[in-house]
Amino acid sequence: MQTAPLLSTPHSMSTTTPEDSRTPGRTVGAGVRVTATGLSYRHADRPQPAFAGLNVDIAAGEKVLLAGASGAGKSTLLHAIAGVLQDDDAATTGELQLDGLSPQQARGRAGLMQQDPESQVVLSRVGDDVAFACENLAVPAAEIPLRCEEALEAVGLGYLNLDHPTAALSGGQKQRLALAGILAMRPGLLLLDEPTAHLDPEGAVQVRDSVIAAAQATGATLIVVEHHLETWLDEVDTLIVLEPGGGIRHRVPAGTLHHDRALRTELRQAGLWIPHDDVLGALPTWVPPKPGPETAAAAGEPLLTGKALSVSRVSPAKSWRKGPKPQPALTGIDITLTSGVATGITGPNGAGKSTLLLSMGGLLAPHSGEITASSRVKGDHGAHLADAPHAWHSADLTSRIGTVFQEPEHQFVRHTVGDELRLSAERARMPGSHEPLFTEQEVDQRVDQLLHRLHLCELAEANPFTLSGGEKRRLSVGTALAAGPEVLMLDEPTFGQDAHTFADLVGLLRDHLDHGGTVVAVTHDQHFLHALHAQTFPVTGAASLRPASGRASSASSTPLLSSVRDTSWLGRRGPLGKLLALSFITLALISTIDPVSAAVVAAASFALLPLANIRLGTFLKRIWIFAAAAVMAAWGAAIAAEESGRVLLDLGVTTISEGSLELGLSLGARSFAIVLPSVLIFSTTDPTDLADSLAQQLKLPARFVLGALAGMRLLGLMTAHWTTIGHARRARGVGTRFHSQAFGLLVQAIRIATRLAVTMESRGFGAGERTWSRAARLTPADGLVISGGVAIAASATALAVIAGTWSLVWM
Amino acid sequence: MKTSASAPVRQRWTVSDIVVASTLAVASGVIFWGWNVSYHAVSTLFIAYPPTASLVGGMWLFPAVLGALIIRKPGAAIYCEMVAAAVSALLGSQWGLSVLLYGFLQGLGAELILLLFLYRRFSLGVAVLAGASAGLAGGITGNWIANYYQYDAVGTLTHIAGFSLSGAVIAGVLPWLATRGLAATGVLAPLKSRKAHREPAFGRADRAAVVHAP
Repeated sequence: MQTAPLLSTPHSMSTTTPEDSRTPGRTVGAGVRVTATGLSYRHADRPQPAFAGLNVDIAAGEKVLLAGASGAGKSTLLHAIAGVLQDDDAATTGELQLDGLSPQQARGRAGLMQQDPESQVVLSRVGDDVAFACENLAVPAAEIPLRCEEALEAVGLGYLNLDHPTAALSGGQKQRLALAGILAMRPGLLLLDEPTAHLDPEGAVQVRDSVIAAAQATGATLIVVEHHLETWLDEVDTLIVLEPGGGIRHRVPAGTLHHDRALRTELRQAGLWIPHDDVLGALPTWVPPKPGPETAAAAGEPLLTGKALSVSRVSPAKSWRKGPKPQPALTGIDITLTSGVATGITGPNGAGKSTLLLSMGGLLAPHSGEITASSRVKGDHGAHLADAPHAWHSADLTSRIGTVFQEPEHQFVRHTVGDELRLSAERARMPGSHEPLFTEQEVDQRVDQLLHRLHLCELAEANPFTLSGGEKRRLSVGTALAAGPEVLMLDEPTFGQDAHTFADLVGLLRDHLDHGGTVVAVTHDQHFLHALHAQTFPVTGAASLRPASGRASSASSTPLLSSVRDTSWLGRRGPLGKLLALSFITLALISTIDPVSAAVVAAASFALLPLANIRLGTFLKRIWIFAAAAVMAAWGAAIAAEESGRVLLDLGVTTISEGSLELGLSLGARSFAIVLPSVLIFSTTDPTDLADSLAQQLKLPARFVLGALAGMRLLGLMTAHWTTIGHARRARGVGTRFHSQAFGLLVQAIRIATRLAVTMESRGFGAGERTWSRAARLTPADGLVISGGVAIAASATALAVIAGTWSLVWM
Repeated sequence: MKTSASAPVRQRWTVSDIVVASTLAVASGVIFWGWNVSYHAVSTLFIAYPPTASLVGGMWLFPAVLGALIIRKPGAAIYCEMVAAAVSALLGSQWGLSVLLYGFLQGLGAELILLLFLYRRFSLGVAVLAGASAGLAGGITGNWIANYYQYDAVGTLTHIAGFSLSGAVIAGVLPWLATRGLAATGVLAPLKSRKAHREPAFGRADRAAVVHAP
């Protein structure tokens, strides 16, 4: 019974048949024909099918814009065509074929691009990332470099060095890199799932142009899902509209939408952005609140003032490490936010707009200069609060300045929608006391009112993470409003929203302004700015000239996060030899607890620093923490070991004797010595090379080795999420709570990992035999490394035996 | 709903399984690293009777059970524990490469329990057993295989028992709670554990699934 579709909708509501549609590019042989007959799919645990009884025939080389209301099953259909729907309990019926093959059989013929740029990148270097799909599809190694070069050229990234770190690319560049990775497979079908939803207008146009050019050049069939129809409509042949839970509702030549009024109305009602539509006209009329007699004193009063402000994500004071001071993202900013006004902070990507917003919102300390909150923001009970909002308690902040993050999930801390809203209202405090700002009754009232205003009454018991994109956005605004702040800060609130959720959002914010509130938003969205009659604060920092490249260098203290290959002698040796050498040394150390062998290994490590091109100072900075741990280990063992010999120190509960001290020192020396060679070796070993070597030479399963490597690349991303989730907790008034923040990170980590898995699978990962564009093999120099390791291990043991301190632990 | 005959259990790892397990394991490896560095300071709290320091040893075991409960495929416990150990070694560890041996054997300890239940039960009891078994394996490794500790017989047994107890709590109860919390958010949708939050704390998961099926 599980396999029958629940809805028996007629096979298609479409009145057109494939024959009616234009079939351009019929002479091009490279495109894939996509046919679906009676196709139905229902996710496990969902009562409604994503689509049912779907019939479609997309000709080879046809360019299709796939549209439909939110939740109409567009992404699911795209994933089905890409062959990456992986849900054991889902119910599928009907037939889907790519040139007569099932999507799984046709692996490599279709390439899929998703909306989140972060999960479109698999590996940490540009060249490796493009080659990834080719390797998975077992393209001969000799052919791969040429394909990569061509693909990068085709997307306009040909100027990048193949070793360029992918982490340093902008969002738009990452999407184009993903396209290059797909093109290198030489696919006959390009599947794009809202590829520009997270990009600024400039990046979006570049991505679109690259896609169209690639489709033209290769003759590949193109299917793109997008809410903003105008981005693609004039570039495609066909517009297909899905019926939610059903099949195809319309299939018309793309140009039809320009003049077919009925279709325009229908799609507008489905929440799509229609080209040349009067977006603002569709909204209810609204007049921004005029400073009337009752508000005359208040309106136009400065709330937050930034003077000679520099802002940075990294606090200049916080770092205990020496080194170059973090560069501010923006400098020389003078900004005044006035009450009752909407302000849009605009400017190119990477200009530091979000950093400025978080600083004004009291979540980041200014790099230099000062931010002052006026007495109006501080409010009736807040006269004694510090001038700078970042010095406030989170409970004081949340009832004065609310911040809404780009990713709503970062803000969620409770298990139900109702509790999320309740929490914000409950956390608000009278400054300087633990008295709640709202009585219990007031809290209930606020929650009820907000549930209504947000249209979330029916979902009050739902888990916030399970809401749709638009609902999450409304809730995230609601959680900020529940604490009753006057100022509302929003970071790119309209990213990924359809026309309906856009209108909802504008309604909420207009309401806030009507009630005397103030709105500040970082945005590229002109409609949004106009809808709120917002004044703009353009940001064009000098920082915008260097696209995010600073981030990579700041992470370089940890070799795992850096993608720069080491050029020292040891850095140029293969990972396997180094690993073997390290194993011998480790074995020599763990087989005995004695100070002599530890001293030999430590001395050898220091002596070999020049081979790794590491300066003594740098090395000491990296190992001091282990030295401290070793001292603690020595102390711990000295007090823990059984008493033997003369008692040196009596601590009451335990003693330190000659024997236990000796054991402690030996153990401490060993745990210190064992770290040194591994730091030496791993700081000169690139994780990608290590993975190559483990899979090719040690024959570890490639799927798992590359999976671990992909997980490692996500580490840098996780660090960024951790920080943002921390800011979001402060904005919610819950301060920093480790377990809540850790759980939030866990959710994001799994989300990103599952998206990344789709990316990897759509690029042929895990399908079968693969090739390696870089062969890992042992060289004579690697032999030298191995014998070096053996020599160190042997001499450590030999000297300890001679000194009479060697004692085998297994005896 | 006339039959509860279970469909053939698909045990091959999907790409989602691999990437999610890897991500969890790598993140756990970073936690290991921080824990390794601070462990010796923490262990001095147990100065009164040092073998009891193993009561915090569960911190080295949680990736095994967390991975097993979320992925629910053979090898998940060993894989997550070993990758976490490997990452902590890559970042630098006072036990050097020997953490790979610990990782393998501790993961194996948890894995055996899941195998015992044929990868069909993931209840609180199974999680606690798996955590305890991982602790047992860790204790045996530390005392008798790597011979890192040099306690007398009572000390050795105390140490192993403490490790097991710690595993049952830190690497049993906590991962079970985390898995339920994650399942409730819907992020586990592509994985076999997607319904973990609707399973009873005790008893068989597949029966629960039948009860709750629409």
